[in-house]
Amino acid sequence: MLVTIKNLQVYYGRQLALEIDRPLEINKGERIGIIGSNGAGKSTFVKTMLGLTSYKGRIQTELKPEQMAAHLQFNDYVSTMSVRHVLETLLDTSISKNSRLQELITYFEFEECLKKHYKSLSGGQKQRLTIIMVMMQDAPLTFYDEVTSGLDFETRQRLMERLLKWYEGKSNTLCIVSHYYEELELLANKLLILDQGKVIDYGEKETLFRKYCGNSIITLDAGEEHGRLTEPYRKLEAPSHLIALACRGKTEEEDIAKLLIRNNVNFKRSSSDIEIMSINAKKAYYQERGNGGVDHD
Amino acid sequence: MTKKRCGRRLIMYEIRNVLGNPFVYMFGIFFPILMLFIITKAVQADVPESMIPQTNTAVFITMSLIIPMAVVLLGYSSNYSQELEKEIPLRMQLFGFSPNTTLLAKIIAQFAVMSIGLVLYTIVAYSTLEMEIPRPGAALCLIISLLLLSGIFFALAHGVATILKKFGPTYAIMMAVYFGVMVLCGMMGVQVEDLPEAAQKVAALFPMSYITSDFAGFWTEGNYNFTPLIQSFLFFGAVSGIILLIALRRERREVTEKRM
Repeated sequence: MLVTIKNLQVYYGRQLALEIDRPLEINKGERIGIIGSNGAGKSTFVKTMLGLTSYKGRIQTELKPEQMAAHLQFNDYVSTMSVRHVLETLLDTSISKNSRLQELITYFEFEECLKKHYKSLSGGQKQRLTIIMVMMQDAPLTFYDEVTSGLDFETRQRLMERLLKWYEGKSNTLCIVSHYYEELELLANKLLILDQGKVIDYGEKETLFRKYCGNSIITLDAGEEHGRLTEPYRKLEAPSHLIALACRGKTEEEDIAKLLIRNNVNFKRSSSDIEIMSINAKKAYYQERGNGGVDHD
Repeated sequence: MTKKRCGRRLIMYEIRNVLGNPFVYMFGIFFPILMLFIITKAVQADVPESMIPQTNTAVFITMSLIIPMAVVLLGYSSNYSQELEKEIPLRMQLFGFSPNTTLLAKIIAQFAVMSIGLVLYTIVAYSTLEMEIPRPGAALCLIISLLLLSGIFFALAHGVATILKKFGPTYAIMMAVYFGVMVLCGMMGVQVEDLPEAAQKVAALFPMSYITSDFAGFWTEGNYNFTPLIQSFLFFGAVSGIILLIALRRERREVTEKRM
């Protein structure tokens, strides 16, 4: 066990920003995706783990704060400093003498950026700089808080591919905060779903999907006709522009697919849709507590 | 991973950080040299030729005060408040540099840059103007006073920036202190003894007033009563020290709360 969190409460003034009431365990080598809308407590979770916020409760770990690495939402450095000096100073090493650092610089195609001042870097280059430094720390527990936010689609894809490839087969535990579900589908094997500072659920990605969605789901565009057509099937909570149908087994999935094909309706099939799963997890959580209202777009 | 120490690399990084601020060159190096030339040129017409080296020396001593004021008081406060705004000290911490380690490197860097500025200023002054050669003791007095002042300015700048955590208000306060001190301590053309009585009383609280008024008098010969100067150092140092302590206590309290 790398970290165990028990009865954790984080307050900002009088407002409860994060509450973890059931024990939450993080094990070595796990890739945990942390999801939730704005104000859900995702960044508070990261900061609390790093010892940067006050909290009540217990975080049991043998790791010291300096054994954790973090790419926070905001990662600024001295704007007038050359990137080479930022890298060499913060990592306390010399690029020319550190083959691992050279490897990372090459891996992220960052050679040209070394001569530039930090202020001259683009958004994607700034993200890559911090990622290189965080990876160089090779910490047992590493946090990536919205590592791709603000980047265009192509840069985001490239960055994610590289991150994924770099950590392939490595034993570092990663906690990845992201608004992009497709990134978490690629990177995470466990999910921590937060909403309004509460833990909605925490567990293996596949287990959570089966718990809230069934074996698989079929999604199609929302509309009166599509609604009528799919009326006999169990509908899941979904964004307002979609209809999500839960498939309990292969036969039901094939029935729905045949029906939609026959009626020339476009659809998507998934057995790992994190967005639909998290929406339904939230719905179940609030229904259990007598509050059925779930907001989603 | 181990905690990182204040080594050569971190000190050089902080020196580059100081030198990355263009105001340090402008106000800490060029401005005192420019003021030295302008004022010596302006007053030369009104003094007998035999008095020119003495007058130049008096202006040299007065303008030397601008260097620690510009580099440390203005430069450091603006740099550090911007760093705080961008949470750069937090990132340093996340990469294994404790706040004390970073602070030590910053102090060394500030003293290094201030000293370089002072050496350049002295070289330019003594190679271009007719100057009096000081007694070693008098020169040492000025150097020690400037280093002590730099320390006090650092404490004040670090304290104010840490309390306010924002560039705008920190810069506004430090600019007010900078120009206030320049006016009160005889660096803007009006000597301390020509100021209104109330202003003279305030000026007496700052060591800079004694340096601008009195140091030229014992540069080559003569005695000097250091008591008022030492008292003003103690007063100014105590005020800056209290501000720094308040800032560090607030920071410590925040850190303690964070680890409950």
